Amino acid sequence: MSTSTIVGTVDEEKTPPAADRRRRRRAAHNVEASTHNRGPVWTAAGYVGMVLVLLVVAVPLFWILVTSFKERGDIYVRPAQWWPEPATGQNYSELTTRIPFSDYVRNSVIITAATSLAKIILGVLSAYALSLMRFPGRSIVFIVVIAALMVPNQITVISNYALVAQLGWRNTYQGIIIPLAGVAFGTFLMRNQFLNLPGEIIEAARLDGAGPMKLLWRVVMPMSWPTLVAFALITVVSEWNEYLWPFLMSDDESTATLPVGLTFLQNNDGVTNWGPVMAGTVLAMLPILVLFLFLQRQMIKGLTAGAVKS
Amino acid sequence: MNEFSRRGFLGLAGAAGVAGLAACAGTGTAPSTGSGGGSSNTIEFWSNHPGNSKPVEQQIIKAFEVANSGLKVKLVDAGKNYEEVAQKFNASLAGGQLPDVVVVSDVTWFNFALNKQLSPLDELLSTAKIDTSDYVDALYNDYNLDEKHYALPFSRSTPLFYYNKDLWKAAGLEDRGPKDWDEFLTWAPKLKAAAGSDKIVMELPDGSNYLDWVFQNMVWGYGGAYSKEWTPTFSDPNTVEAGTYLQNLAKDGYLKLSKDPAPDFTAGIVGCSMMSTGSLGGVAKDAKFPVGTAFLPGDGNCPTGGAGVGVPANISDDRKKNALKFIEFLTNAQNTVTFTQATGYMPVRKSAVGLPEEKAFLEKNPNAKTAIEQLPKTRSQDNVRVLLPGGGARIGKGLDQIVQGQDVATVFKALDAESQQVFDSQIKGKLGA
Repeated sequence: MSTSTIVGTVDEEKTPPAADRRRRRRAAHNVEASTHNRGPVWTAAGYVGMVLVLLVVAVPLFWILVTSFKERGDIYVRPAQWWPEPATGQNYSELTTRIPFSDYVRNSVIITAATSLAKIILGVLSAYALSLMRFPGRSIVFIVVIAALMVPNQITVISNYALVAQLGWRNTYQGIIIPLAGVAFGTFLMRNQFLNLPGEIIEAARLDGAGPMKLLWRVVMPMSWPTLVAFALITVVSEWNEYLWPFLMSDDESTATLPVGLTFLQNNDGVTNWGPVMAGTVLAMLPILVLFLFLQRQMIKGLTAGAVKS
Repeated sequence: MNEFSRRGFLGLAGAAGVAGLAACAGTGTAPSTGSGGGSSNTIEFWSNHPGNSKPVEQQIIKAFEVANSGLKVKLVDAGKNYEEVAQKFNASLAGGQLPDVVVVSDVTWFNFALNKQLSPLDELLSTAKIDTSDYVDALYNDYNLDEKHYALPFSRSTPLFYYNKDLWKAAGLEDRGPKDWDEFLTWAPKLKAAAGSDKIVMELPDGSNYLDWVFQNMVWGYGGAYSKEWTPTFSDPNTVEAGTYLQNLAKDGYLKLSKDPAPDFTAGIVGCSMMSTGSLGGVAKDAKFPVGTAFLPGDGNCPTGGAGVGVPANISDDRKKNALKFIEFLTNAQNTVTFTQATGYMPVRKSAVGLPEEKAFLEKNPNAKTAIEQLPKTRSQDNVRVLLPGGGARIGKGLDQIVQGQDVATVFKALDAESQQVFDSQIKGKLGA
């Protein structure tokens, strides 16, 4: 995808060398510490709090990981086993034999990539038009888009289903992708970002003869990367985890995505063998985790953008 | 790129708007020729593969295609549970492209039947000369509305009484389940003493996980009922007595409710439970102690459960005929044996138990035998639980309140009133119409 190359260039242009950054951070920390002047008790309490929060977040994840390596008889025992003993890779091989796991992964990747790309492009272009271009009815269009944001997708599901079924698109990629590609959220987020850009720069670019596309690509976008990255990440994560629509549209493993496929490991009337379910969960989390770690710094910058006035 | 004129842009925006409006006009324009899409010699079977049964379903389908050349069956993953299949079926009712055969649970079939979205099967059955008397009566009659049957039993389960044989031995009890709930009450203190303080004598699913299903047994055991036909009878003294019994079990510390008792039971921290026969295979495999099973306490007090298969109403007669042919094959004696041995469900045909492979199987699996021997003692559930919209959830919530200590009579009186009101407003007018 093109985002990765984009992120690379931003890193080179915008972020100072690592050593410099660290120095600045330490300086910032010192300033903070001296102004607050906390006693050792508070510092200790702070660390305890941090450890607690870490446990709350990490223990379930750890449990998923450990369970995925356990033998079936060791999953429900008391006292709980905190380490797989003996460890087994069997859950992972069962995962690939009991359900067509690789088919689900392929579908998930195709559908997530296509929908996210469509959403990002549509979101940026529509937000650009609604914020920086002038045309009659602009605010009405914007209100309509925002209104669309207010309608939860569970409500539009039935009419979307009817439309897509009539087109004969059930159980096809386009049947899943196209109805998901609408982006009121992206339009809203990116429009606010674009409106916050200093008008002088845009004015100057216009005076220098930049056309609308050039203005977008050379001036507006470079100033909006963090927001865009945050938007992209949120989109990818939510598309990857999307359940309802792919479930309704798909009939079998030729189009069904991972979240849909993983449910077939669970037993709907009886006892579920949780080992393979956990193994599947681990594998489904990995790509998103990697992507998140990769884009994390950009993302946090994006979420706090505009929180502080410079 | 720079030649992006304002007029061109407006034109584009307009076009996009029109397309958007057109997209909104989705519903209701389906070609309503009664065919509902689909071709007549491919049978679409929408299933949630109850009890991880996809491989068995595929095996049966293959055998069907060999036996009926010219007919194809397409197995569709229609959800992870019965509610999701119902949801997907609902969506297809709005948008065309109906399946030929769909899995409907005891709770979901009625609403579809009431709104004439499922075909009544009786006429089709008699034209196809299918003998329905071989279906287990209680299971067959579960799908009866106004003397018409709207589905045939497929993946049917009942609750069973599960107990931990080691604990039973430690408490000095006979190796069997209680005869009735009064006997259980005399056992409970011994079990508690043997179990120790960190274990629980009995754990049942809570109100949002089918407590109302297994409690049906206690209610009938005390001569009460949730309803007689359509009249709710929660305030009946016998029903209230059963509720009080449940409340006392919890008050005395013998009973705990949880989301799913199976893990606790297999971990050995729970002495006994009432769970679906569908759990049998999993519990036996996971438990590290000898698992005992018995009939539910009482005689003829075991509710049925699980799902059947139905045929949508709005498809062509040819498709209906083929669909029925497939359903008959799917649930015939041979295949119901194949299916139930792989999953833990109940054979839905009376003659199935006489087949040699079933006899051999029961020989080897005494716990499965308990379940099958209990089958003739089953009873169709009370209407107010399975047929009223939201019935199970409503009763479950009431039972949760009772276990937490609220007054039984008051809670049940409120259930009476609520159930009656739902019946009056949502069902009454459509019955017999």
